[in-house]
Formats: sequence, structure tokens, C-alpha cells
Amino acid sequence: MSGERKRHVIPGEVITSGSYRAEQNTIQVGDNIVSTIVGLSDVHDGSVRVIPLTGGYLPKDDDLVIGKISSHSSLSWTADINSCYVGMLPASDVFGRDYSSSSDDMTAKLAKGDLIAARIVNADMTRDPLITISGRELGKIDSGELVKISPNKVPRLIGKRGSMIQMIESSTNSQVTIGQNGLLVVSSEDPNGLLKAIQAIELIEEQAHVANLTDQVNEMLESKSE
Amino acid sequence: MSDGLIIDQLKKNQILDLLKEGKRVDGRQFDEPRKLTIDIGVIPKAEGSARARLGDTEVVAGVKVQPERPFPDTGDKGMLICTAEILPIAHPSAETGPPQPPVVELARVTDRGIRESGMLDMKQLVLEKDKSVIGVFCDNAVTDHDGNLFDACSYASTAAINACKIPKYEMQDEKPVKIEGEFTEPPITTLPVSVTMAKIGGFIVVDPTIEEWGIMDARITITSNSDGNVVALQKGGSDGFTQEELIKCAELSVKVGSKIREIIKQSK
Amino acid sequence: MGGRDTDIVLLDENGIRCDGRKVNETRKVTIKAGVLKNANGSAYIEFGDNKILVGVYGPRDVHPKHMSDTDTGILRCRYHMAPFSVGERKNPAPSRREVEISKVIKEALEPAVMLKEFPRTAVDVYMEVLQADGGTRCAALTGASVALADAGIPMRDLVAGCAAGKAADAVILDVNNEEDQAGQADLPIGYMPNLKKITLLQLDGVLTPEEYKQCIEIGIDGCNQVYEIQKKALQDKFFGSGEKQ
Repeated sequence: MSGERKRHVIPGEVITSGSYRAEQNTIQVGDNIVSTIVGLSDVHDGSVRVIPLTGGYLPKDDDLVIGKISSHSSLSWTADINSCYVGMLPASDVFGRDYSSSSDDMTAKLAKGDLIAARIVNADMTRDPLITISGRELGKIDSGELVKISPNKVPRLIGKRGSMIQMIESSTNSQVTIGQNGLLVVSSEDPNGLLKAIQAIELIEEQAHVANLTDQVNEMLESKSE
Repeated sequence: MSDGLIIDQLKKNQILDLLKEGKRVDGRQFDEPRKLTIDIGVIPKAEGSARARLGDTEVVAGVKVQPERPFPDTGDKGMLICTAEILPIAHPSAETGPPQPPVVELARVTDRGIRESGMLDMKQLVLEKDKSVIGVFCDNAVTDHDGNLFDACSYASTAAINACKIPKYEMQDEKPVKIEGEFTEPPITTLPVSVTMAKIGGFIVVDPTIEEWGIMDARITITSNSDGNVVALQKGGSDGFTQEELIKCAELSVKVGSKIREIIKQSK
Repeated sequence: MGGRDTDIVLLDENGIRCDGRKVNETRKVTIKAGVLKNANGSAYIEFGDNKILVGVYGPRDVHPKHMSDTDTGILRCRYHMAPFSVGERKNPAPSRREVEISKVIKEALEPAVMLKEFPRTAVDVYMEVLQADGGTRCAALTGASVALADAGIPMRDLVAGCAAGKAADAVILDVNNEEDQAGQADLPIGYMPNLKKITLLQLDGVLTPEEYKQCIEIGIDGCNQVYEIQKKALQDKFFGSGEKQ
């Protein structure tokens, strides 16, 4: 990453002026490029964007998300996907094409409160996003613990090419399913490992804006639990 | 946004499994309330005020004291009214508009606990019999909701009333006139404290969190006074209690309540 | 009531106001962002003796559905006073005054918030006045824009609030309760400091054209001072040394 130093900005703050393209979370006001959100400014190759430090999750096609079943009709389930929109999971996604609302029992498959790993199929914002649970790594989640972080800290948790999350998983003997929506399921055979993995995730959530985050997490993971 | 009241299945299983081992998700004992902190005087312009923080549940209680015309049948007594509302800032499920039944229940249980204990000697709050009495209004505002609002409102109310100052009034031409800068102590007779217990999978736990609240089968709120007597009760939820459970709950309430009462006394 | 305006000296011979301030001085303002656990964004503001908690929820589902807009998210605001926030206990039901203030604050924030990205949703801003001491609408507006930024709602600018007014024949900044009761005019202003646009403006009282000009001028100056405190609150929360809370 080249370009200008990243700066802390808040809504309304001028990031730079001149001939730049205003990209994510910025607007052009006269000659100035202005931030619309609290975050880190990133001026790069003639374009300006702000990496947000707060805010909700907006569904995008192909995102993996963790959802919580909140209700169902005779044709679909709705899942809370930690967003301003609920995920719609069609009954046919689970029962197949010859699904019949009279003979198939939906709650036997998925009941209120069940957690699922799902993928966003279609998020065009004109209606609630369509999700699927058929596919590799998708489906109902039967074990582990749900952890919630700010959705915009997910990239930080994953790290460069997955380095951060791999470090956490291998040193705590745990598995973490990461939803792009900020919901994670952490599981481990070892209760101490589970606890430590959750603590490491919480540390990233709190310290996402600092530079030496990897060192801090590493230090935490290597310290002996009492 | 996510509805905190649907508890996810993994959390539900975890809570139930742990209870069978004698443990709770947050590491507390069954008879252990969350950490309670009380700050009084947070609303300096009110005659009394307290902020109670029970775990992550937070309530601000403010006491206003002002002269009132007494009710026709109780002209020899002052007036005491407690209310409670869940502010919409407190939780995504909290609603604006007319109070829903759970909020009305919260307000009434809070009021009953204070009133039935005889916390204030109402006979001492009369300015002129049948004409003018002192009204004490204790309004509770829930600002953050992490379960068990009953107890948080009970503690905030008791602390705020206990710490309030009663302005002095003089009757002039049959009308009460406030004497600026002069106050008396409130006529406190006892400190009522409620303890709410949830029944989950046959186990009884004190001071349920919002997650425990979301999966409980039944609950009971028992208010006790400084003498260790039971002064108000409220059973809720869709299951019942056995006689043995109720006796155990009352003992728990008195035991836990006496520790809470010390925290309230210290706060003044 | 009655008669109480005679025993307060609003402005003494040295140009000092009843609470010790100079004519062009605001009260002490402190703001803390991120004070509530459940809200998506929040702020606590003390503006003199005003104490206000603001919580933001959303973007989220709109109930009732017919209020939603398929082209954009909508902003909803509620300004509400606790019964114990004022001298005489306030009836808990919303008053006409609270309904009007909610509306003017909403319209003061709308030019700043950008909700096009969130069609069919609502952003709810709840302002809870715990203690009132004159100038609550400006204080609530100021806290609300910090809470919105804390929630990550995209905004063109923050909105800062501060009133100007007239008491004892002098133009003054940030009118307190006594000055509001016994003074001659109160002119609350909401202002976007970077875009230099006034988004809330009301007036109670009589001003000459010259005084009107002066009020707006020092009011904007007050808003700029308040803006610095808003900025600091967000910086402290997001870019501080990293300790929790």
C-alpha cells in the first residue's frame, strides 16, 4: 500500500483537496474530499476512501454470514443476519424442489433460535436478501459459541491472507467460523482454548485501530492463562 | 437489527448444561446477584436521585417532592408514587408510545415494593390535614437493559428516596409556600429491597441476565424490609413454583436482600 | 410564579452574567461517545447543567411498514424529558413542546445524514433529557450528531447546536434557564461547521435587525466551539489510547 499516511477522520472532515476520486465513505464538496464516517482515510492512486471503524453490516452477494432463525412462514424462514435487512431462506433450499408446505415440517429442520452458516445469494436492496445454506461449510451450526464483533473489524480479525485468524486458531486449538456480518462461531474441544480464542477476538475488536495489533494478540495468546 | 430476546440455541444449551453442573454462564453462583453500584445525587436539581447499575442493566431514579391536594379518603397522609419506564435507548425491543403490559407490570411492582413496605412514614408528610400534603414522586428511567429490571428499579428507587431532601413548606392563606434553602430528612422507617429469581430447567437463580430472562420458565420477585420480613411478591412467567421452592425463594430473598441493603445504605 | 425575575441580576456592571460568564462565553460542555451497551451509537452530553443521554438504533426495520420508503432510509427523532428533569414534576406523556422539538431536531439532522444506501429502513434517534437547564434542544442536537457518528451512520457533516439571545439589553451567547425565563430573546441555532449551513433556527422574543445579525454571528461562533468538543468526543472513543470505555 503506497500513498499518503492514513489519518483518523470523522464525518465532515476534509481529507484532501484537488483532483482525486471520492470513493467509499467520502463525498466531494467543491474542491475538497470529505469523510462521511469515523475511520481511517486512505489516499491511493488518485482516489480517496475511508476505512470505517463503526457501522452496521450491509449484505453483499456471496458473503458468508452467520444467521439466527427468527421466524418462518409456509414458504421461507427469516434469519437475523445482524443487518438492517433480514435474510430470507426459502424452504426449497432445505427441502429441495418438491417441497410441500403440507407434508414437510419446517420447524423440525430449523427452529427459532437455531444458528446457521449461510451465503448471500442476492442482495439487491429492493427486497430482503436471499440466502442459502446448501454448499460447503454451510448449514445449521450445532456446537460452539456465538461471538459478536463490529462487522467492519472482520478484515482485521482475518488479517493479511488469513494470518491473524490462523494464528488464533492454531495457538488455541479452536475453529472460528467468520461471518462477514460480524457474527462468529468459535468452537474447541478444550474449554481453555475456547476462552482464550474469544479473548483474542475481543482484543481485536477493542484495538482494531492500533498499528501493532498482531504483536499484542500474539503476546496475549502466549501468556499463560491463570 | 438483532432482537436480543430470541436467545440462540447454542447459548440456550450452554446455559442449561452449565446449570446442571451448578454453574452459570457468567461464572456467578446461583444465589449471587451481579455487581451493584449506586451513585446518588446524579440529578442535582431533583430532590433525590440515584443511578443503579446492576451488571449491565442501568436505571436512573429521580425524586420530586412537591405539595399536593390529598385524596379525599387519605387527608391525613402524604402521597408516594413510583413509576418506571423503559426508555427506547435501553434496548432495541423497547418501544415508544403507550406502555405495554410488561412495562406497566414493572412500574406497579416497583411501586408496590416501596409502598407496601411503609418505607416512608406518610403521617409525617402532612402540611394541613385534608388540605395539603407532601407528595413524593419517584420516577425510574431504564437507560440500559440487560435483564432483571425489577431489582434495578427497586434499588434505584430505595436509594433515591433514602437520600432525598424534603423541602420545608409553610401554610400561608391556606396555600403551601416553599421556604427556600430549608430541608428536612425524609421520614424513613425501613429500606425495602426486592430480589428476583428465575426458574430455569428446574433450577432457581438470583438476578437473571437478559439471556437467562429470555429462556426462563418462571420468575418470582420478593421484596423484604430491614427487619427481614416479606413485604411484596410478584410471580411471573409461564410455569409455576412448588411450595418448597417458594419457601427457599423467600429465604434467598431475605439473605441476598440484606447484602443489597448494605450497599444502598453505603451509597448515602 | 411571578416576581422572581426582579431578584436576579442578569448582567452586572462589569458585564458578568448571573452564572459568572461573559456575554460571549458558552457554558461548560462535556460529551462522551459510546456510553450505552445496547444502542448502535450513543452519547452523553452535559451542557452546563443540562444532562442528556442520546441513543441511536439503526438502520433497522421500519414498523409500521407503511412508513418506510423504498428509495431511502428515513430518520426518526424523539426528544423526551424525564419527569424529574425539571423544577415541577413533568407528566411522563409527551407534550406538544416535546413533539415540536423532536421535529425541528429531525429537520436539523436531515441535511447531514445520508440514508440513500439503506432503502426501506429507519434510523431512530432517542434523546432523553435527564436534567434540563435551558437550551436543551441545542444540547440534544449536539449529542445526537455525535451518537449518529458513533453508530456509523454516514453524514456530510456533524451538526453542532448553541443558542444566542438577548438579556438585560445585551446580546449573549448560550442562554441559560434564568436568562431564558427573565431575558428578552432566545435564538437557538443548529449549524454544520464544515458546510457552513444553519439547519436549526428558532426565535422567541424581540430583536432589532442589528441584534438579529449579531445573534447569528455569535451563535455560529458558539456552534464552532461546541463542534471542537464533539470532535474530541469521537476522537477519544475511536482513536484514544485504546482503553475500554
